Amino acid sequence: MSSKSQAAQAGQALWAKMPKANAELFALTYGSLVTELVRDYEDPIEVNAQLDRIGYSIGVRCVDEFLSKADVAGMGLTTQCQNLRDTAEVVAKMGFKMFLGIQAEVGAFSQDQRCFSIYLQDNPLSTFVELPEDDPSGGEDLRRLKYSNLYCGVIRGALEQVNLKVDCNIVRDTLKGDELNEIRVELKEVLADGAGDDYKEE
Amino acid sequence: MSSPILFVIVGKNEPLFEAEIDTYTGTTGGNDLSTRQNYFVLHSALDLVEKSAWTTNSMYLRVVDKVNHQQVSTFLTAGNIKFMLLHGGKGEEVVRSFFNEVYGYYVKLSMNPFYKYDTPITSLAFENRVRAAARSYLS
Repeated sequence: MSSKSQAAQAGQALWAKMPKANAELFALTYGSLVTELVRDYEDPIEVNAQLDRIGYSIGVRCVDEFLSKADVAGMGLTTQCQNLRDTAEVVAKMGFKMFLGIQAEVGAFSQDQRCFSIYLQDNPLSTFVELPEDDPSGGEDLRRLKYSNLYCGVIRGALEQVNLKVDCNIVRDTLKGDELNEIRVELKEVLADGAGDDYKEE
Repeated sequence: MSSPILFVIVGKNEPLFEAEIDTYTGTTGGNDLSTRQNYFVLHSALDLVEKSAWTTNSMYLRVVDKVNHQQVSTFLTAGNIKFMLLHGGKGEEVVRSFFNEVYGYYVKLSMNPFYKYDTPITSLAFENRVRAAARSYLS
């Protein structure tokens, strides 16, 4: 319990130090990116995959920045995350807070402690967005589009760099009428320290 | 019987949004003939809108045309989209407030990345908000 509020406080402090950008500009830029992808690929499933790939590249870089800033500030990362629960808290309370300034909650840990959910009350990426109504002439069914799929890629990329291979999915989306956004994260495997075969000594 | 109020948003080439508001019930109504006549009156006022757009540098163009007992008021957005209201003599300030509120909703709609500028507006949320604004300002 004390680690929870520690993480929240650390997240708050990290957020205060980060350079800020205009939220509307951010949302509009992401919106244009998504609509361009929709225009190019047309199939919403393919667009979801692309967003995940883009998020993955972002996540890989985010985690380095996070670890360096958190270390410099001496934010109690001297103690490593002992289990997935700690990792989840760090991702939600510190990661999301530091980069997006939003409060994310964790919950719904599975029995075997290998899955958890991250809940986002408000989503800065989807400001002003309204998914278009079903096109009766049979155009792309944008209901299948996962608008915020970038987050899934970011989490996947970031955790892969610390040797946790995860699968992320958006299960609830405010754009589709739910009350909050929920991202389900499942741990697939813990990777061995991946220096690769090239570096194995003779 | 109240004269129904007709609100149309006109883009460069075509109408983008139409709502006929019967102020007593707040829903679409009216018989076919008067509806068609109203559309005709509104669209024939478009030339006059162009003319009066040059006379003032504010967005609200007031009444541009008077036909029988009805008046056409217009509001021109910064992107040259015309909001036109056909009504039976509402006060200017009331109409101005209505237009300003609808302008706010229109700007929020155009921030939606999925809405392309100058295309027909199909959002139900926008339509409901416009009708609610009409009910509160124009009845």
